[in-house]
Amino acid sequence: MNKIAIQTNDLVKTIPQAGRELHILRGISLTIDSGESVAITGLSGSGKSTLLGLLAGLDLPSSGSVKLFGQPLDGLDEDQRAALRLGRVGFVFQSFHLLENLTALENVMLPLELGTQTGDRTALATQALQQVGLAERMGHFPNQLSGGEQQRVALARAFVTRPQILFADEPTGNLDRTTGHEITELLFALQEQFHTTLVLVTHDETLAARCQTHYRLVEGALA
Amino acid sequence: MNLLFKHWQQRWRMPELRLLLLALIVSVTVVTAVGFFTSRVENAMQAQARQLLGGDLVLTSARPLDAAYVQRAKTVGLETAETVSFPSMASAGDKLQLAQLKAVSSGYPLRGDLKTAPAPDAPEVASNGQLPAKGEIWAEARLFAELAVQPGASVTLGRSTFTLTRVLTQEPDRSSNLFQLAPVVLMNLDDLKATELLSPASRARFNQLFAGKAAVIKTFQQALEPQLKPTERIRTLEDDLSSVQQTLQRSGRFLGLAALLSVVLAGAAVVLTSASLMRRELPAVAVLKAMGMSRRQVLFDHAFSLLLTALLAAVIGVLLGLVLQFALAEWLSRFVGKDLPAPSLMPIVTGVLTAVVLLLGFALPQLLRLVNTSPMQILQGALQRPQQSLWWVVGCLLLAVFGLLWLQSRDLPLAGMLLLGLLAGTGLFWLLASGALRLVQAFGKRIGAGWIPALGRSRRAVLLVVVFATGLFALLLLTTVRTDLLDRWAETLPADAPDHFLINIQPAEAEPLTRFFDAHAVKLNLYPMIRGRLVEVNDKPVKPDDYENQRAQNLLEREFNLSSFAEFPASNALLEGKWFAKGEKGLSIEQGIGEMLRFGIGDKLTFDIAGQRFSDTVTSVREVRWDSMQPNFFVIAAPGSVTDMPQTLITSIHLGDKKPLITEMIHQFPSVTAIDVGVILTQVRSLVTQAGLAVQGIFVFTLIAGVVVLIAALQSQKAERRREIAILKSLGAGRALLRQRIWGEFLLLGALAGVLAGLLALTAGNLLAYYLFDLDINLNLWPLLVSSVIGSVLVGIAGYWNLRGLLTVLPLSLLKS
Repeated sequence: MNKIAIQTNDLVKTIPQAGRELHILRGISLTIDSGESVAITGLSGSGKSTLLGLLAGLDLPSSGSVKLFGQPLDGLDEDQRAALRLGRVGFVFQSFHLLENLTALENVMLPLELGTQTGDRTALATQALQQVGLAERMGHFPNQLSGGEQQRVALARAFVTRPQILFADEPTGNLDRTTGHEITELLFALQEQFHTTLVLVTHDETLAARCQTHYRLVEGALA
Repeated sequence: MNLLFKHWQQRWRMPELRLLLLALIVSVTVVTAVGFFTSRVENAMQAQARQLLGGDLVLTSARPLDAAYVQRAKTVGLETAETVSFPSMASAGDKLQLAQLKAVSSGYPLRGDLKTAPAPDAPEVASNGQLPAKGEIWAEARLFAELAVQPGASVTLGRSTFTLTRVLTQEPDRSSNLFQLAPVVLMNLDDLKATELLSPASRARFNQLFAGKAAVIKTFQQALEPQLKPTERIRTLEDDLSSVQQTLQRSGRFLGLAALLSVVLAGAAVVLTSASLMRRELPAVAVLKAMGMSRRQVLFDHAFSLLLTALLAAVIGVLLGLVLQFALAEWLSRFVGKDLPAPSLMPIVTGVLTAVVLLLGFALPQLLRLVNTSPMQILQGALQRPQQSLWWVVGCLLLAVFGLLWLQSRDLPLAGMLLLGLLAGTGLFWLLASGALRLVQAFGKRIGAGWIPALGRSRRAVLLVVVFATGLFALLLLTTVRTDLLDRWAETLPADAPDHFLINIQPAEAEPLTRFFDAHAVKLNLYPMIRGRLVEVNDKPVKPDDYENQRAQNLLEREFNLSSFAEFPASNALLEGKWFAKGEKGLSIEQGIGEMLRFGIGDKLTFDIAGQRFSDTVTSVREVRWDSMQPNFFVIAAPGSVTDMPQTLITSIHLGDKKPLITEMIHQFPSVTAIDVGVILTQVRSLVTQAGLAVQGIFVFTLIAGVVVLIAALQSQKAERRREIAILKSLGAGRALLRQRIWGEFLLLGALAGVLAGLLALTAGNLLAYYLFDLDINLNLWPLLVSSVIGSVLVGIAGYWNLRGLLTVLPLSLLKS
């Protein structure tokens, strides 16, 4: 396995706004090792989510470079970047983003269906749901689950492919303190179990403190 | 593939996909039902037209036809039969009656069937190829009555005496001559010679009938045409359609119109549902793309879902269409015959194409937007719809609508005009809706209702008004078309429309006949009827060969019916010139004949009337309603100008239950012939009713399409509504207030839509009446009132029903979802 999971060099993201360039990110250089847990914190609008998106290859920087699994992302088109993520990257979002018309089990099976993964998808997804303690609620639709339960499903969906990197965007942002705590425990337990690299964007300093590395973004630059 | 199917099944849980399927099913069903039905009716009409001729091709002449024609027809494998008809007197005992003798050879009729009955009141049966045996004749019931005989009686025709064995109830080629002077007597051609009735001076019509494969007939006709003698003429299917057929064609147009409206409405539902489907799929696609799904996978996944939906809709729609067309055929079975020919398979293709075109044009642009969803958006909170060129979306839509219109009308210029009309209509609806809402806004401010001004500013409200108004407009237009137009058309055939024509009235009988009917309270308007042949226009001789149009040639070969009277006929309309003032000379012509034979006001026409020449100048042009059941004439001369010409008189009367008068009249005036058109009239009137029912069948589908659009529009705005209600609830709005507001909003929007729809339906209905159905403008304001009430009630109920679920949930859960 590659020792370095993600590496960036002088990452800049600007967007045109009202006729001039707005700098979202300014010269971010960082290296994330495999299996490492990293927290990115900062105020609203500091560019945390943009950085997460660039690290995951969801978007391309205005200048600078990103290497994901040792592969430079510049020069890859959207589909090639998607192929690079497929089965190796998982996501957890603040507002869960479960598909409303799919049951918990079907939501967890989704990433398995995208890849060429063989084997019993239902069994794998069931197992993932058991791990997050939702074995009893597999047939429920998202609107029949509480916020905490929905985020558990999202965790199961993220880990079901045993990803090398998990990107989490404010995973506890929509949850009360107790539930948030439960989800945090579960997240780190799973990360440890599967030796997953964790890149976490959060406001929550306690959550950030659980990570091995902590980056602070201030007005688009690392503090 | 399994996975794609699984994803389709999962999407099926969304109401949007089900609505999409429903909208597609409605379009396919209506398109195939109408397609199947009209194809069957067209086939039947062709077959019926062939029956009217008694064969596929008829060669007709006033002179005996050359046997060489028959020889040639036989060598190319065509069936042939021969008929000779002429008027002659029939006698039984001391009674005499003018009859139309028709001597037929074996094989007659080649198309259609003869029907006979053993006695005048007995039920008719098909003759199955049987003809009167030698020495026997069959005759219409009228002859039995006139001669006061029963089956088995002896009837003398010329030098022969025959046994009258059966009552002739139907000959396939009878309706081609509605104004048959005398009852038909059918005899075997082999018996004709012995009667010695046929002489070179007899006014006989010799017909040679041919039947066979369409291609052979065509080649045969082409070979025949250059060799015809001046007296010989070919009659084909293109000859005039009967009034029944014209009515059937009108029904076909009604049905096509209804189908088109349903499809357009369903199209609107497809656009709205695919837009909301797209909005719902947007976060899913963004998440999946973040997980590593490629654009190709997104495209395949969604295209498969859409195509499978289209296919399912096509299968269900075609099956429903088949069932529905049986119902339509059943409704009209009395007129189109129980044994309607099988429909062509083309409507299936049209139905499937309709579904595919609807999806490609209306849903595909939305799908392509999904493909371009950036996965980055999922991290940025609010999901933006992927930007896409408006021209591309609009272009796809227009192309699809044009495709649909063309599929339905099969007429490129017409499809173009319909598209422009539709665009203008939608634009007009949009403008009027925005204008009306602005007015409402101003009104709301004045009365201090806070939510009304907000309504005037919202595009959502305009969209709802436009969508509802379009739906209502279609429904209303169809209703007015069905009831109003049909009523207006039927009104032109009032209940006291004439049911008998009296012809062959000698001038000397005019006065006693008028007295006879006066005594029975029946008013008689006698018109002179003069048979004349047009020989010159502006002193230049005219010949049939001068015209390419077959009808024009026929008109010049035959004698016209001319008349002369002072009062302008009530069922006519003066188009040009002036009706005769007292003492003025001149001719008034029918519009069609002037256009066909290329003459008009100021042209001098010369007629040959039984050897005498008669000339005058055209001073007016009239529009004639041939289905008015009144005596109508191509040419009317100024009163008094043709009094010295040989003539008979004609009239039409309404007898109703005084029908027995006819027998009495015949006894007093034996030479007068009475033609019972009551039967034809009843048939036409009940056909109009049946056609109305058929349109109503299709109208149900327009109604369903309208409701689907309504639900689609509400569904597409539900997320927005949900947020809005949550915010209002969190601000302290109670359920009663919200309920009141929802009702108020939708009742108001519905009423606005209703008024708009009513106004436009009134305009469109009148345009249709005027241009398509030759009816007068009629400003019936009922639709306005009815549609505003229907609009507010329907929209109010639909709106409240759609949103009522949101009233009972807690504001927090609304915000959460």
